[in-house]
Amino acid sequence: MRRLLLSLAIPAALLSAPAFAAEAWGLKDEKLVSFSGQVVDILCTLKGDCPAACGGGKRQLGLVSEGRLYTAAKSNTLFAGATKDLLPWCGRTIEIDGLLVENPAMPILMVQGIREKAGVGDFAPTDQFEKDWTAANGKADEWWRADPTAKAALADNGILGRKDLKWPK
Amino acid sequence: MTKILQRGVLWLVTLLAVAALVPNHGLAQEGRRVTVTGEISDTWCSISGLMFAKGTAHHQCAIWCALGGIPVSIRDASGALYLVLKIGDDEDSAANPRVAKMATHEVVVEGELLERDGVKYLLVDRIADDKGVILMTHDEHGIQPFGN
Repeated sequence: MRRLLLSLAIPAALLSAPAFAAEAWGLKDEKLVSFSGQVVDILCTLKGDCPAACGGGKRQLGLVSEGRLYTAAKSNTLFAGATKDLLPWCGRTIEIDGLLVENPAMPILMVQGIREKAGVGDFAPTDQFEKDWTAANGKADEWWRADPTAKAALADNGILGRKDLKWPK
Repeated sequence: MTKILQRGVLWLVTLLAVAALVPNHGLAQEGRRVTVTGEISDTWCSISGLMFAKGTAHHQCAIWCALGGIPVSIRDASGALYLVLKIGDDEDSAANPRVAKMATHEVVVEGELLERDGVKYLLVDRIADDKGVILMTHDEHGIQPFGN
């Protein structure tokens, strides 16, 4: 039952989310947030190791707002992070909305919308990963099941990660 | 003397302008050396509590999330999460297929730990041990999150 509810709840939450305002997911420790911050390459910010263009999409990005570094871990696309959405804004200050999940183990940010200037226009939904994936691989209902790299990894060791285990049994 | 002063001011202004353009907040931190033992896990699933995010039950989902560019962390036995920003010379921390292949593996790593604003960031120097997937959770939790 829990699996069924989860499988219905995640897409429903996404489909019902308007493009201009953060949507609650009902997660423990979540907080709806909207703030302006500078898009940064996290490794660059921490260690001064700063390749051009925030690493060109290969690094984890975050936002610095009022001196606090936020790790942007998730976008609106299922099973996808926010790097591709933030990358065009590397080094620039933008406004985001989304969920700050302040789990004691680690606070992380789900960026749901981005707009260039605070208070001006609608938030654009964070769906760049899916757009890029579709451009590279073609349309799929579930990018994660159709992804060739994921399929290859799962073909090697199986859905459970071990060749000696089978699923379903 | 005036020319020297003018040049000095010009250099200072140039330096400040360049510094303002580089999105680097704060000076480079020096971390501390650590050895971390734990499971390579998906940060979002672990933090959000949306599903059971450990072991064999979560292997497939962890691969999807890693390839989708969600940060990968190592979760130790106490539940602490260490967000991995590099492994050796490989600084690709978003959608790195090499890292995705290690999803749910139990590993021992050595590296530098940096903490900021409640997040533990780990710069892995060396994977000292990779035991593969050893936490058996699928009997109890099935395949997360969809059952197949």
